[in-house]
Amino acid sequence: MIDEFAVKSVAAVYGLAWVVTLAYIGILNAKMGRMERQLDEIAALMERRAASDA
Amino acid sequence: MATASRSARPDTGTLFAIAAAVLMPVALGLIFFYVPSDADQGYSQRIFYFHVPIALTTYTLFGVSAVNAFRYLMSKDESLDLKSYVPMHLGVIFGTLTLITGSIWAKASWGVWWYWGSKQLTTFLIIFLFNCAYFMLRFSIEPGERRATFSAVYAVLGVGLIPLSVIGVHVAQTNDLIHPITFNENGANMDGSMFLTFLVALAAMISLSVTMYLIELRGKRIDDRLRAIRRLAGGEA
Repeated sequence: MIDEFAVKSVAAVYGLAWVVTLAYIGILNAKMGRMERQLDEIAALMERRAASDA
Repeated sequence: MATASRSARPDTGTLFAIAAAVLMPVALGLIFFYVPSDADQGYSQRIFYFHVPIALTTYTLFGVSAVNAFRYLMSKDESLDLKSYVPMHLGVIFGTLTLITGSIWAKASWGVWWYWGSKQLTTFLIIFLFNCAYFMLRFSIEPGERRATFSAVYAVLGVGLIPLSVIGVHVAQTNDLIHPITFNENGANMDGSMFLTFLVALAAMISLSVTMYLIELRGKRIDDRLRAIRRLAGGEA
């Protein structure tokens, strides 16, 4: 007979590990989004500069 | 040609990600379908196969941070400052997980969330809090050589606390009967199937942490380069 609290504890530990990993992926996704926006801003700056040079 | 050959071969980060993706399900399979329950602690002992690898990964990350910090102090190579910061950051994440998973295991096995009488727990908490304070120091100084030097000195000092934890474990063998001892002078304190499962779980956790390290390092480098390009393009950094 397996103790119910023991099962819940094991599930909590392994679930937590997955939640942290998924949260880390979420944070990485947010960082990628920020870098994409920065790239867009740089591209816009370069386009404005090219237009003013022409 | 250089670009073509570079893109055709998977980089180190991808290889470690594949290793983690393969090893993690194998470890979970072994933990839940292969290894028997511990005779003393029963089902809750299965927490051990994640808790101990996470704790060992924490020590490894703090160690890598200190080694790169020492290399920075010797060479003043700016890239080593980032290579010291990133494992310290991940070490704190893994350290937090160690404390939480250990606390859940303590509740299941001992009936308490924390036991101040255990030298092993207390020394780990001291190491963890010391390394958490690294970020307060780092972000209280303007970016530049001064910040990198102060951070590197702190990271090197922090790793000096890890032998204290090891000594704590050995002292605990005689005075602390509550925290289980995984390894002693006779080797692994568990049977063959448990040791195999532990090794696979450890390899999975190390692979995951290396993948996270390489991804975060790459992200920070790209961020730095974007700021530099933005400055050159005439925008604000």
